[in-house]
This record gives sequence, C-alpha cells and structure tokens, in this order.
Amino acid sequence: MTNEELWQAALSEIELSISRANFITWFKQTSIQSNINGHITISVPNGFAKEWLENKFNSHILHSLKNLQNDIRSISCVIATPKDTVLRREAMVDAIVAPQKQHQITQNQKTTVINPTYSTQPIQQINIENNLNPKYTFENFVVGGNNELARAACFAVSQNLGKIYNPLFLYGGVGLGKTHLIQSIGNEILKRDPNFRVKYITSERFTATLIDALQNQKINEFKEYYQKIDILIIDDIQFISGKEKTQEEFFHIFNYLYQLNKQIVLSSDRPPKEIQILEERLRSRFEGGMIADVSNPDLETRIAILKKKAFTENIQINDETLLFIATNIKNNIRELEGALNRIIVASQLTNAEITKDFAVGQLSEIISSGKKKGVTHKHIIKTVSSFYEINPDDLIAKNRKKEIVKPRQVVMYLLRNELEFSFPGIGEKMGGRDHTTAIHAYEKITKLLLTDEKLQKEIITIQEQLYKIV
Amino acid sequence: MKLTCTQENFKKAINNAEHIVSKQNTLPILNNILLEAEKGFLNIIATNLEIGIKIKIGAKVEKEGSIAIPAKLLGNFSTNLIGGENIDIEVDGYNLKIKNGLTKANIKGFSSDEFPLIPQKNTDFVFGISVLKLKDIFNKIIVSVAHNDARQELSGVNVVFFADKIAFAATDGFRLSERFLMLKEFNINDNYYADFFAKNSNIIIPLNTLLELNKIISNGFENNVLVNVFIEDGQIFFELDGIKIVSRLINGKYPEYKHIMPEKYKTTIIGEKKILQNALKMASVFADGKSREVVLKIDTQAMTVFIDTISAETGENSTEVKFEAHGESQNIVFNLKYLLDGINVIATENLALLANSDSSPVALKEVLPDKKSFVDGFTYIVMPIKN
Repeated sequence: MTNEELWQAALSEIELSISRANFITWFKQTSIQSNINGHITISVPNGFAKEWLENKFNSHILHSLKNLQNDIRSISCVIATPKDTVLRREAMVDAIVAPQKQHQITQNQKTTVINPTYSTQPIQQINIENNLNPKYTFENFVVGGNNELARAACFAVSQNLGKIYNPLFLYGGVGLGKTHLIQSIGNEILKRDPNFRVKYITSERFTATLIDALQNQKINEFKEYYQKIDILIIDDIQFISGKEKTQEEFFHIFNYLYQLNKQIVLSSDRPPKEIQILEERLRSRFEGGMIADVSNPDLETRIAILKKKAFTENIQINDETLLFIATNIKNNIRELEGALNRIIVASQLTNAEITKDFAVGQLSEIISSGKKKGVTHKHIIKTVSSFYEINPDDLIAKNRKKEIVKPRQVVMYLLRNELEFSFPGIGEKMGGRDHTTAIHAYEKITKLLLTDEKLQKEIITIQEQLYKIV
Repeated sequence: MKLTCTQENFKKAINNAEHIVSKQNTLPILNNILLEAEKGFLNIIATNLEIGIKIKIGAKVEKEGSIAIPAKLLGNFSTNLIGGENIDIEVDGYNLKIKNGLTKANIKGFSSDEFPLIPQKNTDFVFGISVLKLKDIFNKIIVSVAHNDARQELSGVNVVFFADKIAFAATDGFRLSERFLMLKEFNINDNYYADFFAKNSNIIIPLNTLLELNKIISNGFENNVLVNVFIEDGQIFFELDGIKIVSRLINGKYPEYKHIMPEKYKTTIIGEKKILQNALKMASVFADGKSREVVLKIDTQAMTVFIDTISAETGENSTEVKFEAHGESQNIVFNLKYLLDGINVIATENLALLANSDSSPVALKEVLPDKKSFVDGFTYIVMPIKN
C-alpha cells in the first residue's frame, strides 16, 4: 500500500466515526508525508490542525492506521511549507506589470472589454484571433428534422462564400445549436484556407468594442478593421436592439461588406421581424438573404445527440437509459448534454454501471423539481401580463374583452401545464372562476397550439421568460 | 469557574477577540469565544483556524475552569456594559453568570472540550518592533496588497530577511510598496537571528492577520510598546502586553521584485506632497469612470508639471504645478487611483517622483527637508498605463 492509499483508507474509516464538520475542518488538505520505521508523519495545512490531530485525534488516527498496517507505531504532524507543495513549482512571474488598458477596463466594467485584436495586430494574425472555438464543426453536429434546413444553409454558405445566401440569418431558442452551426461555418472555411479572414463576435462584444473605439477616438480604425474581413459572423444579434449608434455603425459595415460580396452570418433568438427597436433598414437587410430557424429537437434527434456525445466520451450506455434521458429533457440541448455529463460523472465517482435506474436516481432532481423550482402562479400571471402588455388585475377581473381573454386562457394553460394545478385550483386563482372555464381554456389552447405557429412561439417565449425570472 | 475582573479590561479583550471569529463556520464551536480562568488571570481565546488570539487579563480567580460562549452574544453584551465597575463571572454547568453593577446576565455556553487548541510557539522570538514602527509599516504597505484571491501569494505581505535589514513588501500586480528597516531599528534577538536567517529568508503574512493586528495595536497601545515576533514553519506568532496572536503563513512563492525597482532614473521631480495630491484629487473629478487615466506632462526646461485628464463624457481638466524637475521631459499616463494611493501614504512634506520612460516603473519616494535627499527605506512603484 502506498502512503496515499494508506491515508485514503484511514480517512474513510475516521470519517465514519466523527462528525462531518469535524472531519472537513481537521482533515482537509492532509496527507502522509513519510513513513519511516513505523513512524508516520502527517502533513497538515496549519498549526491548528497540527495541535488538534496530535492532541485530540492522536489515538484515533493511530488506531485506524494500525488496523490497516500492523507495523505502525506512532504518528506526528508537520505544517506543510512551500517546499513540499505544488505552489513552489509555479512559474515565476514578475511582481508587477503595466496595467494595460484592457486590463483595467476588464476590472472596472465588463461591458467595455476591448478586443485586443483590432487595430493593434497585423492582419495575418487575425486567423488565430478569430474567436472561433475549434470544437464546433459540421462533423460533430447532429442533424435532425428540427435543424436540417439551418444546417444545409450553413454548409452551403461555407462552400459558396457570399454568393448564395447573404446574409444568412439563423434563429431559434436557447441551447439549440445556433452557435455551433455558425461557428462551424468559420471552422470549415479555415480548414480549407487558413488565410481567410473570419471574424466571429457576439453582438454584445461588438457593441463594447465600438463604444471603446468611440471613447478613444479610434472609430476609423474600428471601421477599417471590420471592412477587411471576408466573413463576419455575429452571434445573438438581437442584443443590438435599441442601441442606435451600434445599429448605425453596423449598418455601414454591413453595407460595405455586402457590396463586396463578403459573407455575413447572423444569429438571433427570434426572427428579424420580432426584434424590437430595430431600424427598419437593418430589418429589411436581415430579411434580404436566407432566414433559417432551428427549433426544438425531436425525440430521435435527442437520442442521436446523446449517442454521439456518449461515443465521443467513450462511454457505454444502453438504449433504454438514453431513451429515458431524451424523453425527460426536451427543451434544450445544453440541458441534455448537462444531464448526460451528470450521469457520467456520477458513475465515474461511484464506479457504478450506468443503468436506467441509476439515471433515474441521478436526474430525479432535475426532472421533477429543477425546472419548476420557484415558479408560482404569481410569476405566471406577471410574465403573461407583461408579455401581452396588459394589467395583471384585468386577467383576474370579470370581463370578456378580446385582448384579455386570450392571455387569460394562456395563463390557465400554463398553470395546468407548468405547475400541474388542478382545474378547480386554477379557477380559484383566476378570481373564483368555475373549473369548467379552466378546462375549456386549457383545451382550447392545447388545440390551437397544434395549428397556430404564432401561438407556439408566444408560449415558448413566455416559458423562457418565466424561467429566467426565477 | 469563578472570578472577578475589571470591566474595562474585559470589554477591550472581548472586543479584540470577537473580531477574529468569522461569520461562516463549518464547525459550530468556532462561533464561540473561550473563557479560561487560571490562577490570577482570565484568558480570552478566539480563532477562525487561520488566526488565533489569546488575551490574558488580570483577575481575582476563586475557582479555575473554562467555558465556550457564543462570540456575537458576548460581544454585544460587553459593548453595552456601562463603565466603571468590576465584573463578577461565575460558571454553573454550561451557564455563564455575569454580574456588572446592576446588570445581570445568564448566558448559555458550551463545553470547552471541543474548542480548538491554539498552537504554541516552540522557538525564541526573531525580532521585536515598536507599535509606532509597526503602524508606519502597515500604513505604507497595506494599500498595495491584492484583494482578489486569484493569486493567493499576493494576498499577503512579503517579509524578506537580510543580514542587515528586514524588508516588507506588497503588490497587487500593478503597483508595489516596499518598506525596509535596518536591523538596528528593531529589537533583534541577537543570539537567534543568525540561526533563523540561515533557514528562513522569505515569508508571506496574510493580509487579514495584519489588519487584525493593526486594529489591536491602534486600540489604546502606547507607541513604544514592543511587539515580539516569532516565526516557525508555516506559522507566525505576535506577542504584546498579554495578547498572543498566531496565524498561518501563506504557502507560496512571492514573486521577485528587486529587479523591477530601477537603480537610476532619467527624470526627477520634487515638490510639495499637498500640491500634487490636490491636483490629482481635482483630476479625479474628471477622470473617466472606467480607465481612470491621468497624464503627467513633465517639462524639465520650464520646471512645470501639467496634470491632465480628458474624459469623453465629462470634459477635461488641466492643473499646472511648479515643481523642481530635472532630467528628460516626459509624458506619462497613470491610473489615477494607483498614483494617488502612493502619494497618500507619503509621510514627509515633500515627495519625489522618479521616472525613466512612459512604459517603465515609476517610483515615489519621501524627501528630507533639504529637498534634495530621499528618505531611505520606502519606495512606492507604480506602472504607467501602456498606450
């Protein structure tokens, strides 16, 4: 048995016999430093631990060690010093460095982080600084009915830059793979020709860079930089809504690149039409190319994604378990991967085989309460009323105005669907209405959802806002 | 346990000890202060497992014993005591009965068995230092200590021992303060120092420990009281007038900084601290909220320094200062806060600002009344902002 194994074994025995708080406080960061002729030296992080272990836990520790190895006779503690810790090996760094502009700004206000690539670095280096994450490629993107069109459009764009779909506008909900797709375009192009000037940037970052350029009177360099790009990929473009100056500058850059037939790719969480406070001339340009949506993946796609993920992680999981995960986590691929990761990590920690029952145990928290945690009927009423821009009291009040009736039915639908309220319960919360009213509302919305695409989007947006608040 | 002590002593000791007790503890017993009566003394003990403190106050002890009492409660109770009278303390089971004049209290406590043992020192003291000098060091150094935990070794004060001096330094990566005192300014343990120095030359004391110590020495100690310092593997002990403090040392390698401090400077300006301080305070009204940039335009021909700020939002400001300026003219951009922090801790009427270029370390030093020579032993280094 090595010292490490010996200490681990002893610790697991000691852990059982003392309280958790005690164990964490006194045995954290301890290890066996040496074992010389049956005398064990334990390295401890501070003097308090040394005193306590030597005076109060001495016999306890000795007893545990003896059980494991007969020849151990005595123990003592030493305080760990820099000589025997990892820290010592850390690379030597200068004590002080110049507070470069970027650093300070990062410290004080995140939103104005400037991108060090522009204006200071020669163009040749931009390829390294294009912000693309090499892990996003077309090869590892799982295609399903929900994203077929979007993927095809992106791939086509990567093969025919600036010629077929320009600009390409992708939209879809959170965590459905928009970023993966648009970064794949960049990576695909770079794979073919590393000299291409690809720039991937989030709109938030774009705005920040612009503000900084304005502040330092370097707006021309800013423009020049962007005008030299071959393909501009902007993620989450909806965030430029309401930022007039950003929109204006973006408009000019957009036009300039477009004139030169340079490819532009944009992503957003909603179609251009629904981005509020967006200049009309920008909106029409966004709509001028190709618009593709990425919707929620169907069950088969979700299973395929899980399989692919399991394959890359080199983990064996049976179909039954994958089916269980895929049926229970529907909305978001990020959550889906998170759930799988959770199971994998848990199984590695406990050395358990991954079975359906194991997965059920691990995911019970996420599935049963995680999503609904903290959302109450008040949240729903508040979110729906603010979404439809009506007074929350009107929802409860007795009136049958058309603009109130639909939101009221949506509230009842959500109460049933999200919080699993009983119909009489819904009636009561909605100002003492009859339970049949609630049933009617629920059925009406359910039926409408099958055919009315606009309503589907509204419900999804409301759900997103609902869980964002909590 | 049964004893009588003066209310004043008790109040002060509890106040000092209560600071140490931290708010969030995994181990519930750490929320307590340990009271321990021995012949002639009451010991008041508290710890957060990083710092431990033991305060000894004189008491008429009738019966020895010990008990752990919730720190917050005891602290609130003792702050509200009205001065002047003696305190009678008696323990009955796990109850602490305190009587002070007309006030009586009965506080529920815990067994002292679970209370951590405070590490005891095994070696002799390395040096003693007067409260006055210690305060001076803290005052000049602490401003530069890093406040984030990203680089643990920077979250403390570096103490470096030499054959002829001891240097205290702190940095947060953008500026650095160094204060050193020659050995003769300490009360050095002559027999032991050489031995100690052979084994240890560099330690890092956590900022919190120094802040606590600073609080305690600022709380009614005469300037000439000596604080004795004991250093062992991984821990440090301070002792003064019945108070013993023990703390862990930071386990890490402090970055080398000697090579950063320039030996020669091309530009020197000397002038009144107040004037530069006021000009910079004015500049800070205008300095941009984000990057806090201020430009020092040093003209050695005209013997002037312009302190300029330009803000895109608020406007601009320029102050002209007549200073003794020698060497090359320079334009240097600073982060206003870092520069002002350094100027604030200068204790002399005049200061010197020494520079080589707009991208190399700039030093601040204290100046003797002759307005020519610098005070040895304190240097504040700040890096200009790169443009």
